[in-house]
Amino acid sequence: MVAVTMELSLAVAADNLRPARLQMAFTLGFHIILACLGVGLPLLMLAAEWRYLKTGDLLWKTLARRWSKAFAVMFAIGAVTGTVLSFELGLLWPEFMGRWGAVIGLPFTMEGFAFFVEAIFAGIYLYGWDRLPKRVHWLTGWPVAISGFFSAFFVVTANSWMNAPAGFRLVEDKIIDVDPFAAMFNVATGAQVTHMIVAAYLVTGFSVASFYAVQLLKRVSAYDRRAFTLSLLLALPLVPVQMIVGDWSAKVVAKSQPVKLAAMEGIFDTTTRAPLHIGGIPNEKTKTTDFAIAIPGALSWMAYGDIDAEVTGLNDFPAEDIPPVAVVHIAFQIMVSIGGFMMLVALWCLVVFIKKRRWPESKAFLGTVVLLGPLSVIALEAGWVVTEVGRQPWIVQGYMRVSEAVTQAPGVWNVFYLTLAIYSVIGVATVSILRQLAKVPVVETSDGA
Amino acid sequence: MGPDDLLLLVMLVALTLYALLGGADFGAGVWEFTTALQSTDKQRQHIYKAIGPVWEANHVWLIFVLVILMNGFPVAFAALSRALWLPLLLALCGIVFRGAGYAFRSYSRGTGRELAMWESVFAIASTATPLFLGASVGAVASGQLAIAADGQYEASHLTGWMSSFAVFTGFYAVGMCAYLAAVYLAREAAVAKEDDLTQLWRQRSLSTGLWMGLLSIGGLAMVSIEAPTLAAGFAHRGWPLVVVSLACGIGSLIEVWRNNFLRAVIASSGAVAAVLWGWAVSQYPLIVPPTITSGVSKAPDNILWTMLVVITVGAVFLLPSLSYLFVLFKSNRQRPY
Repeated sequence: MVAVTMELSLAVAADNLRPARLQMAFTLGFHIILACLGVGLPLLMLAAEWRYLKTGDLLWKTLARRWSKAFAVMFAIGAVTGTVLSFELGLLWPEFMGRWGAVIGLPFTMEGFAFFVEAIFAGIYLYGWDRLPKRVHWLTGWPVAISGFFSAFFVVTANSWMNAPAGFRLVEDKIIDVDPFAAMFNVATGAQVTHMIVAAYLVTGFSVASFYAVQLLKRVSAYDRRAFTLSLLLALPLVPVQMIVGDWSAKVVAKSQPVKLAAMEGIFDTTTRAPLHIGGIPNEKTKTTDFAIAIPGALSWMAYGDIDAEVTGLNDFPAEDIPPVAVVHIAFQIMVSIGGFMMLVALWCLVVFIKKRRWPESKAFLGTVVLLGPLSVIALEAGWVVTEVGRQPWIVQGYMRVSEAVTQAPGVWNVFYLTLAIYSVIGVATVSILRQLAKVPVVETSDGA
Repeated sequence: MGPDDLLLLVMLVALTLYALLGGADFGAGVWEFTTALQSTDKQRQHIYKAIGPVWEANHVWLIFVLVILMNGFPVAFAALSRALWLPLLLALCGIVFRGAGYAFRSYSRGTGRELAMWESVFAIASTATPLFLGASVGAVASGQLAIAADGQYEASHLTGWMSSFAVFTGFYAVGMCAYLAAVYLAREAAVAKEDDLTQLWRQRSLSTGLWMGLLSIGGLAMVSIEAPTLAAGFAHRGWPLVVVSLACGIGSLIEVWRNNFLRAVIASSGAVAAVLWGWAVSQYPLIVPPTITSGVSKAPDNILWTMLVVITVGAVFLLPSLSYLFVLFKSNRQRPY
């Protein structure tokens, strides 16, 4: 009887693996966009309000107020989709949380506080426009921006632990000597956290700039130009920073998750002077990456700082430990090429600025920035796919497989379909409300919100 | 008192604050739901203005309880996730729609029909969420969750929270939210010197207060029949809190009657808090009866101590911020609307 139940539940677990992963991927992929805007938008509204305090120009105040409304909607939806994720940790992956909760839980406890402070000051800032002295009101926006930063920080430390588990010992399958800070600050933490937070500011800056570029292409106004400039000022300087952090991140992956690096690059055979593959489609049957441009030695140099260093290929890892290579490699290529494109745009700006002492204002430039909004979101999602799919089949790299962690509850597919439906409604409604907010005409001399 | 007991205490305080503050926000939505056809625009505005600045912060108490459970008592967290998979998912649906409905309602510039749609989403979700959370708490309190000592769940996903006791606690939670909201809104109306609103919410406080008193007595009878282990706990050491709850409940009615709304707020909060504390004290040290005690589910002591330090440091940021929020929007200062 017991054996039968065991077999049954294992069968259920196997069936649940796909829908549970899809459910987690979809809800996280949805939340991550809102979370990035929630981290970045406060900085923009603080900057606009600061210009208002300095100049007394009501147009700046209008801008800050409108951004604060967009933030309010994003924050509310981000808060509830974030709540979904924290419940899902238990509902979808009870074996994971039950076993590892003690090791991985501390950043979540800390994030609880950051989220709390953020919610409190979001309330004060959003409802305090007419209640607080101007300067005090501006100051109450800072805790929102700072705790948004720390929320992202804490949550990503938990994820980096899943990539590079640390802070415990296993003795006869029992977890002992748990050190929560060693777990939080593992080898992957620094690069991954920085990469994510910079990404959040990039996504915010480019998405907002993209919106105002569309407006400027229709009709040039002082309001739209200010909004455009401010948001580009947030994003552009961070593009080269993200390049460097990305490189750092790749070096960390090379050390802590060599199999992920091999998948990212589509390297099947272990080689010295390993080539960097640009483009290409990994073929898991023939064990080759076809149609790629290969730069010999570049990968060895990128990963280990030495063009002759040996890079372990996928063929030298056990077959059951290898992630879906094509997905990881293509997602990585998408992220990197969008990053490269951003770098070109940043250089374009720099060149025009050095020559003419002003921003490029041509239609071509505006059109390019329009593209950067959606592209930055695609890069974000692609990067997330690299991190998560690249860790498969593990939920805790090297210690627990996703299949061992998944719930045995019935009906996970149905939950996933329902979630798709609910999130579609919420997504469409969010966009529609933001459009309504944007359509209210701007009166240049009033502080009309 | 070990670190696990201290953490349980922190969790209980957070849960209480969630029930009182988050509960009142849900209750406002419950009223919106139950009076949708008869309420005027002014009455609606009163509700929306009251919860606007605070509901996001009030919601975080739930996250707070969740992360402490996840970090400090992972085995209990996993066991609850397995056993209450369905009602927690349904509560989550409610949480998503409540928050989205409120945000869309507040910032939509659309037609009256669109506003009415988001208002009803908000109202229905505000009623559904405490129903399912209350049923989940009831399922735990009843001791009828078939959880083995290793935390695995051994029954179908409809048992436990569909027992008559859990269904009762679901509705009881909705009633509690409505009662708290009525008393709090009466006070806010009195502070704003809106006499007609004060009268309305005073009457609603009195009627829901009476109903909740009757339901509480019925609930005690139900505990003794449906949840014998909990009843034994009540008889053993939970009973003083039952007395406190009844006394506070009666006191809140008297204060509402006498138009002392601030005192009524305190008394009604005391009544609800005592119900939760009575339950917690009676089932201690079990977190998920019948098998999961705090002892078997807790993280190693060094983790628990670290958490307590983190919580203390966090409180240094949290408590002044929270006080500022409430002083700004909920104190007696005349508000400019």
